Amino acid sequence: MKNRLRVLRAELNWSQAELAERLGVSRQTVNAIETGKYDPSLPLAFSLARTFKRRIEEIFESEESRRPVIG
Amino acid sequence: MSEQPPDPNQTESPAEPLYTHPASPFVRTEAPEPVSMHALPSTPSTWNTYRTQIEFGLAMLAYLMVLVGSITVLQSNPDASWRYVVAVLPLAPAALVLVIFIRALGRLDELQKRIQMQAFGFSLGATALLTFGYGFLEGVGMPHVSWTFVLPIMAILWGVGTAIFALRYR
Repeated sequence: MKNRLRVLRAELNWSQAELAERLGVSRQTVNAIETGKYDPSLPLAFSLARTFKRRIEEIFESEESRRPVIG
Repeated sequence: MSEQPPDPNQTESPAEPLYTHPASPFVRTEAPEPVSMHALPSTPSTWNTYRTQIEFGLAMLAYLMVLVGSITVLQSNPDASWRYVVAVLPLAPAALVLVIFIRALGRLDELQKRIQMQAFGFSLGATALLTFGYGFLEGVGMPHVSWTFVLPIMAILWGVGTAIFALRYR
Protein backbone atom coordinates (compact mmCIF):
# COMPACT_ATOMS: atom_id res chain seq x y z
CA MET A 1 0.00 0.00 0.00
CA LYS A 2 1.36 3.41 -0.99
CA ASN A 3 1.41 6.20 1.56
CA ARG A 4 2.46 9.83 2.02
CA LEU A 5 3.86 9.33 5.49
CA ARG A 6 7.40 10.44 4.70
CA VAL A 7 6.15 13.67 3.11
CA LEU A 8 3.75 14.44 5.95
CA ARG A 9 6.46 13.72 8.50
CA ALA A 10 8.93 15.97 6.67
CA GLU A 11 6.35 18.79 6.61
CA LEU A 12 6.22 18.72 10.41
CA ASN A 13 9.99 18.14 10.65
CA TRP A 14 9.51 15.05 12.79
CA SER A 15 11.99 12.20 12.97
CA GLN A 16 10.81 8.61 12.64
CA ALA A 17 11.53 8.15 16.33
CA GLU A 18 9.44 11.21 17.21
CA LEU A 19 6.46 9.96 15.21
CA ALA A 20 6.90 6.48 16.70
CA GLU A 21 6.78 7.92 20.21
CA ARG A 22 3.62 9.86 19.41
CA LEU A 23 1.97 6.71 18.05
CA GLY A 24 3.24 4.45 20.83
CA VAL A 25 5.00 2.08 18.41
CA SER A 26 8.64 1.31 17.62
CA ARG A 27 10.74 3.29 15.12
CA GLN A 28 11.14 0.06 13.16
CA THR A 29 7.35 -0.05 12.67
CA VAL A 30 7.17 3.55 11.45
CA ASN A 31 9.99 2.81 8.98
CA ALA A 32 8.29 -0.38 7.73
CA ILE A 33 5.01 1.50 7.14
CA GLU A 34 6.81 4.37 5.35
CA THR A 35 8.64 2.01 3.00
CA GLY A 36 5.40 0.16 2.28
CA LYS A 37 6.69 -3.12 3.68
CA TYR A 38 4.04 -3.25 6.37
CA ASP A 39 0.41 -2.15 6.24
CA PRO A 40 -0.74 -0.86 9.64
CA SER A 41 -3.81 -2.17 11.43
CA LEU A 42 -6.97 -0.08 11.28
CA PRO A 43 -6.48 1.32 14.83
CA LEU A 44 -2.90 2.36 14.00
CA ALA A 45 -4.03 3.89 10.69
CA PHE A 46 -6.62 5.95 12.60
CA SER A 47 -3.93 7.00 15.10
CA LEU A 48 -1.79 8.15 12.18
CA ALA A 49 -4.73 10.07 10.71
CA ARG A 50 -5.38 11.76 14.05
CA THR A 51 -1.69 12.59 14.52
CA PHE A 52 -1.47 14.27 11.10
CA LYS A 53 -5.03 15.68 11.33
CA ARG A 54 -5.94 14.12 7.97
CA ARG A 55 -8.30 11.48 6.72
CA ILE A 56 -6.91 7.97 6.25
CA GLU A 57 -7.48 8.23 2.48
CA GLU A 58 -5.26 11.30 2.40
CA ILE A 59 -2.39 9.30 3.89
CA PHE A 60 -2.82 5.83 2.37
CA GLU A 61 -3.62 4.85 -1.16
CA SER A 62 -4.60 1.30 -1.99
CA GLU A 63 -2.86 -0.15 -5.06
CA GLU A 64 -6.20 -1.62 -6.19
CA SER A 65 -8.06 1.69 -5.99
CA ARG A 66 -6.14 3.01 -8.98
CA ARG A 67 -7.52 0.26 -11.18
CA PRO A 68 -10.89 0.99 -12.78
CA VAL A 69 -13.68 -0.76 -10.92
CA ILE A 70 -15.80 -2.86 -13.25
CA GLY A 71 -19.24 -3.31 -11.75
CA MET B 1 -12.39 54.10 43.94
CA SER B 2 -12.27 57.50 42.28
CA GLU B 3 -9.71 58.31 39.70
CA GLN B 4 -7.65 61.33 40.50
CA PRO B 5 -5.56 63.18 37.93
CA PRO B 6 -1.84 62.87 38.53
CA ASP B 7 -0.33 65.56 40.64
CA PRO B 8 1.17 68.16 38.23
CA ASN B 9 3.67 69.19 40.86
CA GLN B 10 5.17 65.77 40.99
CA THR B 11 8.72 66.19 39.83
CA GLU B 12 9.91 62.65 40.24
CA SER B 13 9.44 60.47 37.22
CA PRO B 14 7.73 57.17 37.96
CA ALA B 15 10.08 54.45 38.96
CA GLU B 16 11.22 52.58 35.92
CA PRO B 17 10.77 48.85 36.08
CA LEU B 18 14.10 47.09 36.38
CA TYR B 19 13.80 45.18 33.14
CA THR B 20 13.17 48.12 30.78
CA HIS B 21 16.71 49.48 30.76
CA PRO B 22 18.77 47.87 27.99
CA ALA B 23 21.71 47.31 30.33
CA SER B 24 19.55 45.76 33.00
CA PRO B 25 20.43 42.22 33.94
CA PHE B 26 16.79 41.60 34.76
CA VAL B 27 15.20 40.12 31.71
CA ARG B 28 11.46 40.07 31.47
CA THR B 29 10.40 36.55 30.83
CA GLU B 30 7.08 35.31 29.60
CA ALA B 31 5.48 32.27 31.13
CA PRO B 32 6.30 29.28 28.94
CA GLU B 33 3.47 27.79 26.98
CA PRO B 34 2.17 24.63 28.53
CA VAL B 35 3.55 21.59 26.76
CA SER B 36 0.75 19.38 25.56
CA MET B 37 1.51 15.84 26.60
CA HIS B 38 -1.75 14.19 25.63
CA ALA B 39 -0.36 13.08 22.27
CA LEU B 40 2.44 11.12 23.89
CA PRO B 41 1.71 7.60 25.09
CA SER B 42 1.92 7.09 28.84
CA THR B 43 4.71 4.52 28.46
CA PRO B 44 7.24 5.29 25.73
CA SER B 45 8.57 2.24 23.93
CA THR B 46 12.19 2.88 24.96
CA TRP B 47 11.24 2.69 28.63
CA ASN B 48 9.39 -0.56 27.91
CA THR B 49 12.55 -2.04 26.44
CA TYR B 50 14.68 -1.13 29.46
CA ARG B 51 11.95 -2.16 31.88
CA THR B 52 11.71 -5.60 30.29
CA GLN B 53 15.48 -6.02 30.27
CA ILE B 54 15.81 -5.00 33.93
CA GLU B 55 12.93 -7.24 35.04
CA PHE B 56 14.24 -10.14 32.96
CA GLY B 57 17.80 -9.69 34.25
CA LEU B 58 16.68 -9.61 37.90
CA ALA B 59 14.47 -12.68 37.47
CA MET B 60 17.31 -14.59 35.77
CA LEU B 61 19.66 -13.56 38.59
CA ALA B 62 17.13 -14.88 41.13
CA TYR B 63 16.86 -18.11 39.13
CA LEU B 64 20.64 -18.62 39.06
CA MET B 65 20.93 -17.87 42.79
CA VAL B 66 18.18 -20.35 43.72
CA LEU B 67 19.62 -22.92 41.29
CA VAL B 68 23.13 -22.71 42.76
CA GLY B 69 21.69 -22.75 46.31
CA SER B 70 19.51 -25.75 45.49
CA ILE B 71 22.39 -27.73 43.96
CA THR B 72 24.67 -26.89 46.92
CA VAL B 73 22.06 -28.01 49.47
CA LEU B 74 21.29 -31.19 47.53
CA GLN B 75 24.97 -32.12 47.23
CA SER B 76 25.40 -31.98 51.01
CA ASN B 77 22.04 -33.71 51.72
CA PRO B 78 21.65 -36.28 48.94
CA ASP B 79 19.35 -38.58 50.96
CA ALA B 80 17.12 -36.05 52.77
CA SER B 81 13.37 -36.63 52.49
CA TRP B 82 12.81 -33.02 51.36
CA ARG B 83 15.27 -33.27 48.45
CA TYR B 84 12.44 -33.37 45.87
CA VAL B 85 11.09 -30.00 47.06
CA VAL B 86 14.54 -28.40 46.99
CA ALA B 87 15.25 -29.87 43.54
CA VAL B 88 12.22 -28.15 41.96
CA LEU B 89 12.70 -24.89 43.92
CA PRO B 90 14.43 -23.12 40.95
CA LEU B 91 11.15 -23.47 39.05
CA ALA B 92 9.66 -20.63 41.13
CA PRO B 93 11.96 -17.87 39.77
CA ALA B 94 11.82 -19.60 36.36
CA ALA B 95 8.02 -19.18 36.41
CA LEU B 96 8.60 -15.50 37.19
CA VAL B 97 10.80 -15.28 34.07
CA LEU B 98 7.93 -16.80 32.08
CA VAL B 99 5.42 -14.24 33.44
CA ILE B 100 7.80 -11.34 32.61
CA PHE B 101 8.38 -12.79 29.14
CA ILE B 102 4.66 -13.12 28.36
CA ARG B 103 4.02 -9.59 29.65
CA ALA B 104 6.87 -8.24 27.50
CA LEU B 105 5.34 -9.95 24.44
CA GLY B 106 2.05 -8.22 25.20
CA ARG B 107 3.76 -4.82 25.23
CA LEU B 108 5.22 -5.24 21.73
CA ASP B 109 3.64 -3.24 18.93
CA GLU B 110 1.77 -4.91 16.07
CA LEU B 111 4.74 -5.29 13.69
CA GLN B 112 7.00 -6.58 16.46
CA LYS B 113 4.32 -9.12 17.40
CA ARG B 114 4.14 -10.29 13.81
CA ILE B 115 7.94 -10.65 13.62
CA GLN B 116 7.97 -12.60 16.90
CA MET B 117 5.15 -14.87 15.69
CA GLN B 118 7.11 -15.69 12.53
CA ALA B 119 10.33 -16.18 14.52
CA PHE B 120 8.63 -18.54 17.00
CA GLY B 121 7.10 -20.51 14.14
CA PHE B 122 10.47 -20.78 12.43
CA SER B 123 12.17 -21.76 15.69
CA LEU B 124 9.58 -24.44 16.49
CA GLY B 125 9.67 -25.97 13.01
CA ALA B 126 13.44 -25.81 12.59
CA THR B 127 13.98 -27.34 16.06
CA ALA B 128 11.59 -30.15 15.13
CA LEU B 129 13.57 -30.76 11.92
CA LEU B 130 16.92 -30.77 13.74
CA THR B 131 15.83 -32.97 16.66
CA PHE B 132 13.95 -35.46 14.46
CA GLY B 133 16.90 -35.53 12.07
CA TYR B 134 19.33 -36.25 14.86
CA GLY B 135 16.87 -38.77 16.34
CA PHE B 136 16.97 -40.71 13.06
CA LEU B 137 20.78 -40.59 13.13
CA GLU B 138 20.79 -41.82 16.75
CA GLY B 139 18.73 -44.79 15.54
CA VAL B 140 21.64 -45.89 13.33
CA GLY B 141 24.38 -45.42 15.88
CA MET B 142 25.16 -41.71 16.47
CA PRO B 143 25.88 -40.93 20.18
CA HIS B 144 22.91 -40.00 22.38
CA VAL B 145 22.49 -36.28 23.12
CA SER B 146 20.58 -35.08 26.21
CA TRP B 147 17.09 -33.69 25.56
CA THR B 148 18.00 -30.60 27.62
CA PHE B 149 19.71 -29.33 24.43
CA VAL B 150 16.28 -28.83 22.82
CA LEU B 151 15.54 -25.56 24.63
CA PRO B 152 18.93 -23.90 23.89
CA ILE B 153 18.59 -24.94 20.21
CA MET B 154 15.09 -23.46 20.13
CA ALA B 155 16.29 -20.24 21.78
CA ILE B 156 19.18 -19.84 19.31
CA LEU B 157 16.88 -20.48 16.33
CA TRP B 158 14.36 -18.01 17.77
CA GLY B 159 17.11 -15.36 17.81
CA VAL B 160 18.13 -16.24 14.26
CA GLY B 161 14.46 -16.14 13.19
CA THR B 162 13.94 -12.72 14.81
CA ALA B 163 16.96 -11.35 12.93
CA ILE B 164 15.78 -12.84 9.59
CA PHE B 165 12.17 -11.65 9.84
CA ALA B 166 13.11 -8.22 11.25
CA LEU B 167 15.36 -7.73 8.20
CA ARG B 168 12.36 -8.33 5.92
CA TYR B 169 10.64 -5.20 7.23
CA ARG B 170 13.74 -3.03 7.05
